[in-house]
Amino acid sequence: MSRVLGRRFVRADGLPKVTGQARYAADLVLPGMLHAAFLHAGVPRARIRRLDVSAARALPGVLAVLTQDDVPFVRFGAAVEDRTLFAHEVVRFEGEILAAVAALTPELADRACRLIEVELEALPPVLDPEAALAPGAPLVHEDWQDYSANDGIVRDGNDCGFVNIVKGDIEAGFAAADEIVEGRYVADMSHPVPIEPHAVLAQWEGDRVTVWSTTQTPFPARNGLTRTLELPESAVRVVVPHLGGGFGGKCEFHFEAHVAALARAARRPVRLVFDRRQEFTATDMARHGIIATFRTGVRRDGTIVAHEASLILDTGAYATHGPVITEIATMMAAGPYRHPNMLVEGRTVYSNRTPAGSTRAPSGPQVCWALEQHVDAIAERLGLDKLEFRLRNIVAEGDEGPTGQRFEKIGARESLLEAARLIGWGRPLPPGDGMGLAVGWWFSAPGPAGCYIKLNADGSATVVTGAQENGSGSVMGLALLAAEELGLAPERISLVYQDTDAGAFDSGSSGSQTTFNVGRAVLAASAQIRDRLLRMAADELEANPLDLELVEGVVRAKDAPGRSVVIAALARRAQDDGELITGQGNPPAPKMPDSLGGSCAGRVAFPAFAAPAFFAHAARVRVDRETGVVRVLEVAAGHEFGRVLNPIGVEGQVEGGIVHGLGIALSEGTVFRDGNQANPHLLDYKLQTAADVPAMKIAFVDAPAADGGPYGSKGVGEPPVVPTAAAVANAIAAATGVRVRHLPMTPVRVWAALAGEDA
Amino acid sequence: MSYELRVNGVEFEVAAPGMRRLLDVLREDLGLSGTKEGCGEGECGACTVLLDGEPVVSCLVPLCQADGHAVRTVEGLATAGPQGPVLSPLQAAFLEAGGAQCGICTPGMLMSAEAFLASGADPTEEAIREAIAGNLCRCTGYTKIVEAIELAALGRGADTAPGA
Repeated sequence: MSRVLGRRFVRADGLPKVTGQARYAADLVLPGMLHAAFLHAGVPRARIRRLDVSAARALPGVLAVLTQDDVPFVRFGAAVEDRTLFAHEVVRFEGEILAAVAALTPELADRACRLIEVELEALPPVLDPEAALAPGAPLVHEDWQDYSANDGIVRDGNDCGFVNIVKGDIEAGFAAADEIVEGRYVADMSHPVPIEPHAVLAQWEGDRVTVWSTTQTPFPARNGLTRTLELPESAVRVVVPHLGGGFGGKCEFHFEAHVAALARAARRPVRLVFDRRQEFTATDMARHGIIATFRTGVRRDGTIVAHEASLILDTGAYATHGPVITEIATMMAAGPYRHPNMLVEGRTVYSNRTPAGSTRAPSGPQVCWALEQHVDAIAERLGLDKLEFRLRNIVAEGDEGPTGQRFEKIGARESLLEAARLIGWGRPLPPGDGMGLAVGWWFSAPGPAGCYIKLNADGSATVVTGAQENGSGSVMGLALLAAEELGLAPERISLVYQDTDAGAFDSGSSGSQTTFNVGRAVLAASAQIRDRLLRMAADELEANPLDLELVEGVVRAKDAPGRSVVIAALARRAQDDGELITGQGNPPAPKMPDSLGGSCAGRVAFPAFAAPAFFAHAARVRVDRETGVVRVLEVAAGHEFGRVLNPIGVEGQVEGGIVHGLGIALSEGTVFRDGNQANPHLLDYKLQTAADVPAMKIAFVDAPAADGGPYGSKGVGEPPVVPTAAAVANAIAAATGVRVRHLPMTPVRVWAALAGEDA
Repeated sequence: MSYELRVNGVEFEVAAPGMRRLLDVLREDLGLSGTKEGCGEGECGACTVLLDGEPVVSCLVPLCQADGHAVRTVEGLATAGPQGPVLSPLQAAFLEAGGAQCGICTPGMLMSAEAFLASGADPTEEAIREAIAGNLCRCTGYTKIVEAIELAALGRGADTAPGA
């Protein structure tokens, strides 16, 4: 951990990206390629009375028109198998696909969609998740009992995933409390909004299909395709060219099967490219709308003695990962605090909205925003400084997590102190300004990982991995790990990635898992090559391999650097001798911490948080009381990621996370009118621009994890987006004296809160 | 109809309807797919190109408006060298500062920044942020993009060799 890691490096895919040479899925063109278009339902809930595609099929230039009748009747879904490729009998959200068309031009494909005759019997949409839980409420899925679901998922009617955490004796805790503080907070749905919309290109050759897709998870995408079209895995290759961001919105399986089926029917390559409206309404990975209710008992000295939370996640028309995300949400509702007695319940509720799923740190920002406002409210009730109250309750080494895991060395307290130091907590502020703090935690996701490395005859090496680069640089960073182990410059390491035919299975760019899991595989594969090189060099130098090291392209004696042999010479000789020098790594995943999580209901994926990262953000804002406009002046961030391996990459993740978080805080919310999204455009769904962004200060806390990723590192991609909205909310309350209990905290809502209304 | 435009210094005659989007002409008719489409509504800035040196969103510019004019795209920033592209100082600065993550906003971002640098305006942080306020980036939080443009403005980005 010295020569390469911890230093700034230039990512290998940077050069094609700054020259315009980098190809993305929507850039790919094949001879004979047709253009796909979808007919979406356009209404949130309906029964399909008639669907007649004959006029569309008859339009010259149209080569294929498909509906559910043309593909196998297979239900699929990440947690609950509750959907089909095309709408079957009923429509459950506006973006539901009724039919798909392949035609010579995009214009012809759109025209063919308009020629499809559809009769829909509109039904009143289910839009209120609390009402949907009432006995006798209309069911979004009337056949829910017939669906198969992952083992352990607790379902009942519109609730497709009940989860709880039960710890200690909640009633005894409340009985011992001096004060009990309650609060209710509501977060709207929002969206991942990668700047690159979804695109898929499929081409058949004989009985094999190659699909170029914008997926973040090529292997799960392949699984979805093979399952829904009933193809063998060996018949499908999924390749991702450069990916233009995902933020969770491109996780899992999306439209690969629709396009592959069109290409098969048309006997031509077919390409689908989504427009921005489809990107909002038809992709199924929105960020959950959440209703969070808290009741917490504290002693006068600031000790939390009882904590009760209820979470309702609006998961939309289909479960996707919803039940697992509700599990995560219950851990987030505990927060990084010591809780002797706790009861947290989460429900995953179907509605007729766009499905919600694994958007970057799913549930994290919303629940943190709610919990940390509640924590501030408790501190206010007790008359304690908000930093001091958090310091009295925050977890440290040896403490117990919400489901009983024991924390090893962690940097929760240190991250909080860093954020407070960087913002200048407690300093006097001009009138109208306010400062807020928020803390949080997030898991690393242990999972399968494999990698091959080939040493080339010129002394360069090629890393072959199934991992997916979504832009964060995590796959590019794998070159650093191999370079460090092999004593090569990072530019000498090339990467073959995001191709299911080449790499080992990988769960993709999700759960901040790439460096954490694949990084370990790269280290293991590198070690095999390293061992071989040491033995070859030992023969040549007549030395003990233990006395040699790989540095700067040579193997040399540790005590006599002049005694060396060039790695490229060893590699060339191996090739001349007919030897193939390769390494292969697939280390076991880090274990889940021991916990009592299994004794709680509905915990299927996260009985505990493995190698958790801890963090705190602090914000300073200025509120215009006349207009409700909030200007964020400054954000400070303290982050513990175990160990930071690539500072420029991690800074980029934190800065990007903060700005994403500011959008969630202030402007990003899905507005629904009768079940249809009223703002499916970037004009009225506002992201933060360069001119909106405040000054940011970042500090890293070093606390390598014993059971973590390479060199004790933890997942980096998701944590930075979690606490920003919460810090801003607390800063607004500090500036104005009122709490905004509805996310996003738009000017209208801030203004209404100041006027004593609830907007 | 046929229209004439000069793209990255090369003259082209394009036979297409006058209302065809400049973006489609560049990407499909001329094969310059470096310019990206993020929204098709003029909101994200990914398709920004320079029309006679001025940044425009090419999804909102019809071909007929570009007739007889000079267009510059991301492909026109670097020059050809014996070992691959020779980057402009701005491109080199983006590499050095980490201004590109997923890279989808990068071509449009570079063109807005190029126009800003060419304008001779004082490259204060505020002015840079204003110049790229029409280009959305979801990855970086803009900090490293602003740093890259500052670096290029200082003329220090030119030293970084491609891939180094």
